[in-house]
Amino acid sequence: MGGYGDVQMIDENGKRVDGRGPGDLRDITIETDVVPVADGSCRMTWGTNEVIVAVYGPMECHPRKLQRQDRAVLDVAYNMAPFSTTDRMRPGFNRRSREISKVTKDALESVVLLELYPRSKIRISIEVLSAEAGTRCVGLTAASVALADAGVPMTDMVVSVASGKINDVVVCDLNKEEDNYGEADLPMGILPNSGQLVFLQMDGDLSQEEFNQAWQYNMDAAQTIHNFMVDSLKGGEA
Amino acid sequence: MAIPLVPKLLRAHLAELAENDARIDGRQQWEGRDVEIETSVLPRAEGSARVRMGDTIVFAGVKFQIMKPYSDRPNQGGLMCSAEIRPVAGRNWESGPPSPESIELGRVVDRGIRESGCIDVDALCIIPGEKAWQVILDLFAISDDGNLFDAFALAGIAALRNAVVPAERFEVGEDYSLGVSKTPIMCSYHKVGDRFVYDACGREELGGDERIHITLGDDDHVHSLQKGLKGIFSTEEFTEIMGRAQERSKEIRDILDSL
Amino acid sequence: MNSRPVARLDSMSKKNGAGGPRDRGRAQSLVVPGQDLGESEGQEVGHGVIVMEGRLRATKNGRIRNQGSTVSIEPLHTRYIPRPGDLAIGYIEGCTNNIWFVELGAPFNAILPMSLGPGKVEFGGTRSVMDVGEAILCRVQEVEETHSSVVTMKGMGLRKIRSGVIEEIDPHLLGRLIGKGGESLKRLKEDAECRVIVADNGRMWIDGDLDGILEVRRQLDLMTVESRPIPVGGGH
Repeated sequence: MGGYGDVQMIDENGKRVDGRGPGDLRDITIETDVVPVADGSCRMTWGTNEVIVAVYGPMECHPRKLQRQDRAVLDVAYNMAPFSTTDRMRPGFNRRSREISKVTKDALESVVLLELYPRSKIRISIEVLSAEAGTRCVGLTAASVALADAGVPMTDMVVSVASGKINDVVVCDLNKEEDNYGEADLPMGILPNSGQLVFLQMDGDLSQEEFNQAWQYNMDAAQTIHNFMVDSLKGGEA
Repeated sequence: MAIPLVPKLLRAHLAELAENDARIDGRQQWEGRDVEIETSVLPRAEGSARVRMGDTIVFAGVKFQIMKPYSDRPNQGGLMCSAEIRPVAGRNWESGPPSPESIELGRVVDRGIRESGCIDVDALCIIPGEKAWQVILDLFAISDDGNLFDAFALAGIAALRNAVVPAERFEVGEDYSLGVSKTPIMCSYHKVGDRFVYDACGREELGGDERIHITLGDDDHVHSLQKGLKGIFSTEEFTEIMGRAQERSKEIRDILDSL
Repeated sequence: MNSRPVARLDSMSKKNGAGGPRDRGRAQSLVVPGQDLGESEGQEVGHGVIVMEGRLRATKNGRIRNQGSTVSIEPLHTRYIPRPGDLAIGYIEGCTNNIWFVELGAPFNAILPMSLGPGKVEFGGTRSVMDVGEAILCRVQEVEETHSSVVTMKGMGLRKIRSGVIEEIDPHLLGRLIGKGGESLKRLKEDAECRVIVADNGRMWIDGDLDGILEVRRQLDLMTVESRPIPVGGGH
């Protein structure tokens, strides 16, 4: 979060550089069953983001030391392909990817009925093929769809989206420039049927009022995104 | 990679199929699966392709970086090939350091492309002794249903063919097309039952034995060879495979040219 | 950049290739995880349904089924969960001196103790009787949450599978495969002139000459394709 307040990203009419209004989402598409050998999968494009998630399991939990007697464990790996960013990303251990893997796992463990599959493991691979801000949100959302596609039971699906602030204006769904030069970023993971949260991060500078506005943008956007998810799972194309 | 369980019945069944000149998915001995190639599919890469062969799906992305030429080759840039098969691609691919299987895959595909000389490393020089382009080809598997070798090799050359050197972004001139001087194509043959077949699917790879990978250039020149896994083959078998590879590599080259 | 159709927010309601299922009738009965299914009062929960705060909620993606007062989901994709009494086709994945580990396509492997194995087995002789990679027809004896399920080969017809092939099909397609009163399965066996045994864990054993086996496989592929709800078009 640079807080470069002098980069103009939104004009006096509320029009952003990519033509969107403050509350508008980027374009989204969702497809399921895109990895034929997996138990469930999902491909999401969101702006210029492209993420593919594959789910395998529930299966025997190897290595043994990760196994839990009373429930399944989720093995979540978020990874960015080397060609996903303008400057090539070296493959290998990456702290940011590890952190995102962990918070994504924590979010999904809150909704998956883990107790139904003791001693087993569900593997969730989140691969970012093209990145444009908000990849963790795309990954978490696509993972929910992939889990549903795989027949893994959940109390609800997780919808994740981030809002923030640019040039002192609160906006929904930051794109790359807005994320780089904006003043705040608030990603959330929302359960659409109850409005409850399983994922929450924030960095930057928001007043209480701005915070509430960003919160509300995310809540509203989540409903729209959820409709796309439902449509893709019911066999249509979203 | 986790050692997959090979059911004994599968091997017996594949052997019976081979004796009856049949394959588990209904194809002929030298028949390949339908090939789908799409290029310019990765917005952040300077060149890219997606290849689908049956249920095997892979991506290739070309990225450019500026490097300092090696002291013994001050007028040359470089080409680097890196292959990743992550857990996304199959139940048996585990996370962790690259397995011997994926390392072999990467290196075999790399040799096929590099040894053909399709990329002119002299042309990659920007300032002799100081700056040159490094071309990095990243191969990424999304779904593994057999024969990642050919899928990677095809996606790799397809991506290189549409790669654009991002000179403007690095402020060293105007963007221009990388250009390749030839189109190396890899054809892989697996021993299934007691005969070689082309383009093995997942179950054939699982229940099969040794494999041979041949990369040929536009003029049928041989650019790389690799025999993998334990097993024995004869000169006659190899001669037949080489003949088939000559035919098939032309067919694939035609598909690429028609894009 | 690619030229695939892209859904814009404002065109979600329009049927121009993007957004919205094509066959409204069939899609209506499809539910997704988290979907509300009505009051829980007076209703029993079946597979794929839970009660939350007095309401029924779907936990899986599939079709709703109402049988009497029981609401359940027939999932589009499901994993096999062993139950006592199930007939299962498994693969030997490993063994110790006195037990075999059997892979059933379930979230965890089952164990087959020496005493429940085929014929007479001596301590330490497990591998020579049944080795890794062999297939067996067995029955699930017990399933307990605190330890792996146990299978047995003592029983009518249970044995090592020495010939033929084993095919996998999604467990929820078993009903369609077998048909009313076993009709569809009977017809398949006659058409292909093969012995076919359908286990409860989504696997079937087909034995016969090669042409027959290929015919059965062909019919299975047809059935799997026909059972998909609506083909996903465009995009990929």
